[in-house]
Amino acid sequence: MRENVTRFVWGFVLALVCLVPQGVFASIDTIAVDVGISVFKTTPIGIVPFEEKPGIDWIEEKPHQILTRDANLSGRFDVVASDKFNLALFSRSKAKHYMTGKVEPTSDGRLAVDCYLYVSQSKDLLLGERYTVPQKELRRAMHAFFDKVIYQLWGERGVASTRIAYVSKIDGIKQVVVSDYDGFHRSQITRDSTISMMPVWTRGNKGLVYVNFKTNRPRLYTKNFGRPEKPLFEQFDQTYSPAVNPVSGELLFSSSKDGKTDLYIGNMETGKARKFAYLKSNQTSPAWSPYATEVLFTSDRGGGPQIFVMGKDGSDLRRVTFMGRYNERASWSPEGDRIAYTSMDNGKMNIYTCALDGSDIVQLTNNAGNNEHPTWSPDGKLIAFTSNRSGTYQIYIMRKDGSNVTRITQAGENTAPTWSWFYDENKPQPKEGSK
Amino acid sequence: MKNIVKIALISSAACLALVACAKKQQPETNPTAEAAPAAEAVQSAEPAMTQAQADSLAAEQARLDAERLEAERARLEALINQIMSEDVYFDFDRSELTEKAKELLAQVGELLLKEQRFTITIEGHTDARGTEDYNFTLGAKRAMKVKEFLAAYGIENSRMESVSYGKEAPKAQGETEEAYSQNRRANFRVNIKQ
Repeated sequence: MRENVTRFVWGFVLALVCLVPQGVFASIDTIAVDVGISVFKTTPIGIVPFEEKPGIDWIEEKPHQILTRDANLSGRFDVVASDKFNLALFSRSKAKHYMTGKVEPTSDGRLAVDCYLYVSQSKDLLLGERYTVPQKELRRAMHAFFDKVIYQLWGERGVASTRIAYVSKIDGIKQVVVSDYDGFHRSQITRDSTISMMPVWTRGNKGLVYVNFKTNRPRLYTKNFGRPEKPLFEQFDQTYSPAVNPVSGELLFSSSKDGKTDLYIGNMETGKARKFAYLKSNQTSPAWSPYATEVLFTSDRGGGPQIFVMGKDGSDLRRVTFMGRYNERASWSPEGDRIAYTSMDNGKMNIYTCALDGSDIVQLTNNAGNNEHPTWSPDGKLIAFTSNRSGTYQIYIMRKDGSNVTRITQAGENTAPTWSWFYDENKPQPKEGSK
Repeated sequence: MKNIVKIALISSAACLALVACAKKQQPETNPTAEAAPAAEAVQSAEPAMTQAQADSLAAEQARLDAERLEAERARLEALINQIMSEDVYFDFDRSELTEKAKELLAQVGELLLKEQRFTITIEGHTDARGTEDYNFTLGAKRAMKVKEFLAAYGIENSRMESVSYGKEAPKAQGETEEAYSQNRRANFRVNIKQ
């Protein structure tokens, strides 16, 4: 009898353990999928609200709230929040550093923000920055400070001041838009009555290349921000799938002519282009390796789409994906060791990563609508993608292991995100190609 | 009783009026036979009149031409609508033509052989599943299969253009197999060569 009761109790506990997390995750917008194994080692960091002088009429989030969101999104930190400096809490949580600051209104209605990064134990100041900005620029100022913190602590460039280009349905028509990486400061780039799609960034984040249908067929256009649009490679019939060479700035793209789709490479300034590879199969979705020595692409030579890789001179062609019948749109991680791609199974699209030889496959999304179009953050820590898990297509950011999924667009229908390159005019750039 | 008589009177009067109007209009509506000799007879006396008659003649001719063109246009439009409504459907991730598709295309081919002025744009489409990029290549393959079939039927390649819309222009909305099967298609746009 006693044994039975014990068994019953254990069964009950087990059932609870199984049920509770699902209930919790189903009701909130930020869903942790955690299909892959978490490979992140995050560093605890303390965040203390900024000291405020009276007279500020807050319409934006406050500085420590913006920093907290940046830290949570970054994939590098665990936030230890505290109302005030609390050494006991910071030590216990192993937060070796903390961020705080001061904010006061200026006479001309702007905000003067002092931002500090301290060592918890000694209260030594590691980094101090002052920004004097209108309140609507506060978010970007905090992003800039956050990236300085990452540079200070990790010796790497952060992505808080990067942007994302994507496609948004505006009055029923797909248009290209750009926003900050966290979904704020959105601005519309195309204003056509025909579909615009597939935006990618030109080097130096000077502008975009995208596809528009104004000639009743897909055609590539480029537009530097604030400048007029220019059609590209008009000598080709239907052009799409643009990929900017990160070293030379040349454009690799697909062109379909008489039912055959091939890859071409061209110079956007001169308009000259040539065939990239002479293959019998159709090829699309090209993607460059971080130093532009190799190219990933999709070929239908096996019937359905599979991912292949070859040298930039067309040499050394080999197949990467073998699992499943539909693997498409690969994107090379900036660290160079893995690729992210979309795979379809039973009509559902999900995002995977794998090593360059096709081994070590990790499924990042599962059982949450369609998930597609992965794009790496320039530091390789994060992946942005589009998903209709909430009913409509929206843009999400997750860590490269699939954890910490955060939605960054709220309304309408948003697809096809592409992450910008680094924005770091103020920092000496490491030379391209050097490790 | 009085009322009925009144109505009868009114309606008969209306009938008379209509007949009268019709009679009056008749010479104007069909003047080709009489107008010409009459014009000769009064030529010197009343040139202004002749001018007016010639004008009305020309206008009449133009009207007839327009009517004939209109009829021709309506016929062509019916044909064009028929061609444009002939969507060819495909299986998932496939570009091979089904038997039913070939039957439909044979009809379209027949029409195109008869109407040599028609040129067509073949649009290839896919359903909403899969990536934008790959669906462009798939739509291009589908449009090409249709073009090849029509070429084999005897339509010159110069009269046909193929373009892929990928999954960007669905015919049916929704995530059901029914909507998907409606969207896996090739359809036609017709232009008339001048």
